[in-house]
Amino acid sequence: MTFDDPELVAQFVAESREHLGDVEGQFLQIEAGGQSVDINLVNTVFRSVHSIKGAAGFLGLTTVGKLAHSLENVLGKIRTNELVPTSYNVDAMLKAADALNKLFDDLASSNDVDVSQHVTVLDLIFSGECGDGTAAEPAKSGDISAPAQAAKLQAVEPTAVSSPATAAPQAENSIRVQVAVLDRLMNLAGELVLGRNQLMQTVNANDKSALDSVAARLDQVTTELQEAIMRTRMQPIGAVFNRFPRVVRDLSSKLGKQCEIVIDGKEVEVDKTILEAIGDPLTHLVRNSIDHGVERPDVRTASGKQARGTITLRAYHQAGQVRIDIADDGAGINATRLRQKAIEKGVITAEQASRLTDRETLRLIFHPGFSTAEQITDISGRGVGMDVVRTNIESLGGTVDVESVPTKGTTIQITLPLTLAIIPSLIVGAGDECFVVPQVNVLELVRVRAGEVNEQIAKVKDAEVLRLRGELLPIVRIDYVLNIPKIARAGHVSTGPRPISIVVIETGRRHFGLVVDRIVDSEEIVVKPLGRHLKGCTCLSGATILGDGRVALILDAAGIADQANLSTSSLSTSHDQNAHVGVDIQAPLTHTNTDAQDLLLFSTTPEDQFAIPMSLVARIERVSAQNIKIVGGHRLLQYHGSNLPLLRLEDHVTTRPLAEAERYYVVVFRTAGREVGLLVAELDDIRQLTLEIDSLTFRERGIAGGFVLNKTTMRMVDTVELAQLAQPEWFESAAAPTCDDDESEPQILVAEDSSFFRQQLTHFFEEQGFQVVGCEDGQCAWDYLTNEAHEVCMVITDVEMPNMNGFELCRKIKQHDELGKLPVIALTSLTSEADVQRGRDAGMDDYQMKLDREQIMTVVNRLLPAKSRKLQQRRRQASDEMASACMSV
Amino acid sequence: MTTSTLPAQQTRSEPMQLATFYVADMCLALEIAQIQEIIRQVKVTRVPHAPSQVSGVINLRGEVTSVIDLRQVLQLPPIEPSANTQTLIVRFDGESIGLVVDRVGDICAIDSSTIVPLPANFDGADGRFFQGVCQRNAEIILILDLEEALSR
Repeated sequence: MTFDDPELVAQFVAESREHLGDVEGQFLQIEAGGQSVDINLVNTVFRSVHSIKGAAGFLGLTTVGKLAHSLENVLGKIRTNELVPTSYNVDAMLKAADALNKLFDDLASSNDVDVSQHVTVLDLIFSGECGDGTAAEPAKSGDISAPAQAAKLQAVEPTAVSSPATAAPQAENSIRVQVAVLDRLMNLAGELVLGRNQLMQTVNANDKSALDSVAARLDQVTTELQEAIMRTRMQPIGAVFNRFPRVVRDLSSKLGKQCEIVIDGKEVEVDKTILEAIGDPLTHLVRNSIDHGVERPDVRTASGKQARGTITLRAYHQAGQVRIDIADDGAGINATRLRQKAIEKGVITAEQASRLTDRETLRLIFHPGFSTAEQITDISGRGVGMDVVRTNIESLGGTVDVESVPTKGTTIQITLPLTLAIIPSLIVGAGDECFVVPQVNVLELVRVRAGEVNEQIAKVKDAEVLRLRGELLPIVRIDYVLNIPKIARAGHVSTGPRPISIVVIETGRRHFGLVVDRIVDSEEIVVKPLGRHLKGCTCLSGATILGDGRVALILDAAGIADQANLSTSSLSTSHDQNAHVGVDIQAPLTHTNTDAQDLLLFSTTPEDQFAIPMSLVARIERVSAQNIKIVGGHRLLQYHGSNLPLLRLEDHVTTRPLAEAERYYVVVFRTAGREVGLLVAELDDIRQLTLEIDSLTFRERGIAGGFVLNKTTMRMVDTVELAQLAQPEWFESAAAPTCDDDESEPQILVAEDSSFFRQQLTHFFEEQGFQVVGCEDGQCAWDYLTNEAHEVCMVITDVEMPNMNGFELCRKIKQHDELGKLPVIALTSLTSEADVQRGRDAGMDDYQMKLDREQIMTVVNRLLPAKSRKLQQRRRQASDEMASACMSV
Repeated sequence: MTTSTLPAQQTRSEPMQLATFYVADMCLALEIAQIQEIIRQVKVTRVPHAPSQVSGVINLRGEVTSVIDLRQVLQLPPIEPSANTQTLIVRFDGESIGLVVDRVGDICAIDSSTIVPLPANFDGADGRFFQGVCQRNAEIILILDLEEALSR
């Protein structure tokens, strides 16, 4: 069949599709309304179908007309309240609407398509034979309508599969633009023309001074024009969201679940290209939520939830990006089971699994070949889903993450850029060429000084790695991976290492450093596609035109990683000194070894170097020697209206006297609730270091131990001991002994994998009058605790440990019948709010910074069971007496 | 715009406008409608890992355009660009593509019926890249098959 007036037909198709698009949602609303039919709504649907029917008749489209007619009949009966829109009836109507939609795909041959199946069903409903039967006696639906239901299921299946396909905006060539936006564009175009005229005049008149203002004007108009044009590409995300009520309805009935969907933020606008691409991943996620997330109604009621699950789809702006959350109130994801599955499937090794935090474990669902559904269903669970979702979203420049609380539900969070056309980027140079790295991929820039190249960059089996804050980051040389010819640098005879610029790049779960010749600029660039011949260049994702008119290629971070042949595992960061061979998957770069400490390095004389953990430093002051007063044998600094006691290291520990100078630095730290300043000559550096501290050789009161850095021996200052030595009176109030004699020895169990911290803590608690047991990991601690011969009064644990981490240890303790009341304190260098919350969730009684002894002791005293405390105080007093006895001797 | 494919055996007699250009010692031609414009050699940005026949990309009034070296396509030895080197911008499958040629010739009108298939002993370059040959005075003009030359 051919049409006389193709333009008219095209208009008809566009209009009808629009009608049908609305109709779907309206049917669902009608169904939800049930008995109390919203006549206005039905009227709207009726009118839509009616106009399709009318136009179809006009164009001689008999099949479309026939189907629309039957549909209209049923709607007519609903409108007059003769028919109840039961689920069955609505189902039939929805299918008919789908069939109509399909007819519009190929209108020319639509008259040859067989739609009799739909027409028959609708006509049966219309004549009251089929529809009323099920509608009037819903009680029977359990058994009698089973065949009907089976039929329904069969029918739903193809629609469920096809609906995303048909609903997916088929890369439309036309777009609706608001007249206001168009008007604005017109105005701006007018201004642009004006600007051009001015420019021509100014150039002709050779008037240099006026050129500036013309250029400024053109600049402004261009920017506004660009924004206005971008606006025309922005479409409300509701266009994609609207398909989900149907998906949820069809799928939940198919799976025998009850779900409703709450949609929020339909009006949020995103770029058309993103809108087109986000549909499929979102559909997958919503289906996943129904299939894996929401439990069956009986399970839900048994666990005290409403039988009907809720899926929430929410879009909103956040920090210049669009966030989409897909949340369900289902069973959540069981991290422990996920770990097991991951090990079973060989995604990670048991050793790696034990080192994953729960959050990291959850992210495993985005790994290829992963599915935890007990049964593989045809909805989802083939294990091909989530990694594809992730890839799709990342290809849009977005990110995806998961959060889950067992029994409470799961939330998938998607972050998308507002537009793909213009992206903030970093421009880097290699040879005499420029390349563009999208800022989303850039984590940080590192410059390795010429003198440090040999220390910072190491080779591990031919692969170059960068030592970055105690971790090893694989590095890729841009000129090598992109075959960029080396340019001979005039006057630059290579005599040893030159400084190196490294762009630390993140792509999905992979991190690596890209060595570039220079960092040129940071710019917003307009993305241009590459031609057909260059589609095979996986290292590139497009091109852009720089200010000077040159073309610069946009690097594809994932492609570069692949090109450089860096597998996922070898790309993730690995711990430096602990030399774990197996590597965290997805270990974020910032997740540094927890034993790594920021240390302040300073010296008192050119020969005496010391270190102090930055976490203990309150602040650093620079003072003039004249301001230091000596009052009553104490060195004081008049300071902020009060006196700050000053210490000199040589007064308390074995070292050379502080070099005399006109000005000193004062390192201020807090102890026993007061501030103390330590006078030092020079501040050398602040370094994040993973230390092996020799706590024997240099050990003395006030010095925790020594370590070697850059061939220099450093001594670590123990601030608490130092303050005790200098101001013993501050610490007197702590002990107030009482006597009570019939207990066994209480012990504090310290679980800590770093031998340095373990020794430090052991020593510290022993000094405080405790018996201390040190364990090197959670498993070891657990074994010790469950051995009944020991009496432990408190557990102090590190968080990140091999075999069993602190959270798990804590959970085990808290779930244990007898050990359940044991106080557990976490000691860590991770003390973000989220970490503290995780600790609380695991049942930790408190969460403290490593090395902050004052605070630790306060907490220990608060949590210690009363009788253990008495015993400790007695022991402590005894040791103090001993000490003073020795002194007096 | 799609390429107008000339049947190898042109039977009907129609006037044709050909734009000629030279690669190595061959005189090639395209139908004039296939050529969008001809530009002098401009700064070409090399593309890493690109197929060998792609010399790079250029900025053609804001459009990033691939530039194909016809010598590479026809498996001829490369030469250094000279003052005569020019780039034909052709429209192919909705995309502008540049073709680097040694030099541009002129425009000639021929009758389509004079186009004949390649001689069986044709050598010098792969015969599949040409739709046929025609003669002008003593010169043999090879008519380039854009589809074949660009679709690889």
